[in-house]
Amino acid sequence: MTTQSILAEYIEKELAKGRKSHIDYEEDLLSEGIIDSLGILQLVAFIEDKFGIQIEDEDVVLENFQSISALTSYLETRKAN
Amino acid sequence: MNDVIIIGGGPAGSAMGSFLSRAGISNIILEGAVHPRPHVGESMVTSSTRIFDELGFLETMEKEGFVRKYGAAWHKPDGREFGIRFEEFPQPGIFQPYTYHVDRGKFDLFLIKHAEKLGSKVYQGVQVKQVLFDENNRACGVRASIGGQEIDLPAKMVVDASGRQTILGRQLGIKRMDPIFNQYAVHAWFEGLNRGIEESWDYIHIYFLPLERGWAWQIPITDEITSVGIVAEREVFRTANKDLEGYFNYYVQSNPALAKAMAPATRINEWKTEGDYSYIMDSFVGDGWLMVGDAARFVDPIFSSGVSIALYSAKFASERIAQGFAQNNLSKEFLKPYEEKLRSGVSVWYEFIRLYYRLLPLFTHFIQSKKYRVEVLRLLQGEVFDRGEVDVLDAMRKYIEVVEKNENHLLRSALADIPIDDVIAQGQA
Repeated sequence: MTTQSILAEYIEKELAKGRKSHIDYEEDLLSEGIIDSLGILQLVAFIEDKFGIQIEDEDVVLENFQSISALTSYLETRKAN
Repeated sequence: MNDVIIIGGGPAGSAMGSFLSRAGISNIILEGAVHPRPHVGESMVTSSTRIFDELGFLETMEKEGFVRKYGAAWHKPDGREFGIRFEEFPQPGIFQPYTYHVDRGKFDLFLIKHAEKLGSKVYQGVQVKQVLFDENNRACGVRASIGGQEIDLPAKMVVDASGRQTILGRQLGIKRMDPIFNQYAVHAWFEGLNRGIEESWDYIHIYFLPLERGWAWQIPITDEITSVGIVAEREVFRTANKDLEGYFNYYVQSNPALAKAMAPATRINEWKTEGDYSYIMDSFVGDGWLMVGDAARFVDPIFSSGVSIALYSAKFASERIAQGFAQNNLSKEFLKPYEEKLRSGVSVWYEFIRLYYRLLPLFTHFIQSKKYRVEVLRLLQGEVFDRGEVDVLDAMRKYIEVVEKNENHLLRSALADIPIDDVIAQGQA
């Protein structure tokens, strides 16, 4: 599975909880109400666990979390470092 | 002449009497009520176990069948829940992964009996009116009311363990109300409450209410009886306008998990209210006197810290008093190290509580974080008297700073509006 599909699956199953069954990689997660602030915390914990990447507190901003593809490119840069 | 007179026979006073008797110092406990009497503050933290053990009281706790408390659970208004189990963080000197929930009528009765057994002279139904001072402004006894008669009882040392009555603090005019927290609690006992799944039925359950600094407790008292209380800021409490039942039920309905737990429940005693929540005395010690437990300081009880603070303050104070008797010095200066010790421990609680309210609901970040979870547990389990070890408070502060400073931070709107600078310590209260 790709990073994108792993994230999509987790968000669909655990965070959107039936409110949304399929999420496009470009879809706006926040303004669409797919995840809220607690969802973000859960997502951060999931990513740290699953990919072994530490997300810095100051990186929890819109440009990194707006969509699955934004999140994926952020994670790519983290991995590269 | 009595060595020590202790005002109040709650956990602080009874523990104080027990420790002093053990140290060979004669003492009298004057309790205004007659135990058993109802009292709020029914849940404990695990650090209390160490004191029970030290005083030989743990056996009584076990024998009397108080409900064992294995953990804590938090419920958000949106239905999400998270919890901790104490066994995750074993504490030195404590050999059981649980603490207790208690009927304070029973608990306080057993503890005062224990003090009596160890040597304290206990008088119940005796109201202390004031502490007496000699011409050098040194405490020299108390004036008490017994059967309508006022009598003066002399003592070399007076300990104020009067709890939230704060007899000495009020007499000396040194009580300062907390500038941030001014909450009221409305509470009662219920039968038939739905305590949820077996794993957490004996936990303390904290329900967040859609109010700043508002929350509810669910504490099992026996297999059948559960204590439930609603805590809210004074302005919110005022809206109750004497309709406690309506007010209580309104906020029960504001958290779905609480509403579900309470649906089958029936109230079995009178509504009780507690107000004017947090405060601190300018000084906890003086020439010939000191204060323990709630008589010195009271912080928001969201983490069940009260009984633990009472017990530890009695321990630390009794040690200092014993040294004072040995060196024939019960001066303010000599007693001061006790005050510093208690102040720093309780300020850890206070800081933790403030950061907690500020972070809500982001507090989950710290509970879920691998790095900080153990530190948070350490605090929640009452290990606060070793200031060097509370990195997590700094981490919480830094986290708030990061979230606050960055305008684009996604969690910014989740922070509550609680000042986190130490207004009291700076004397701006």
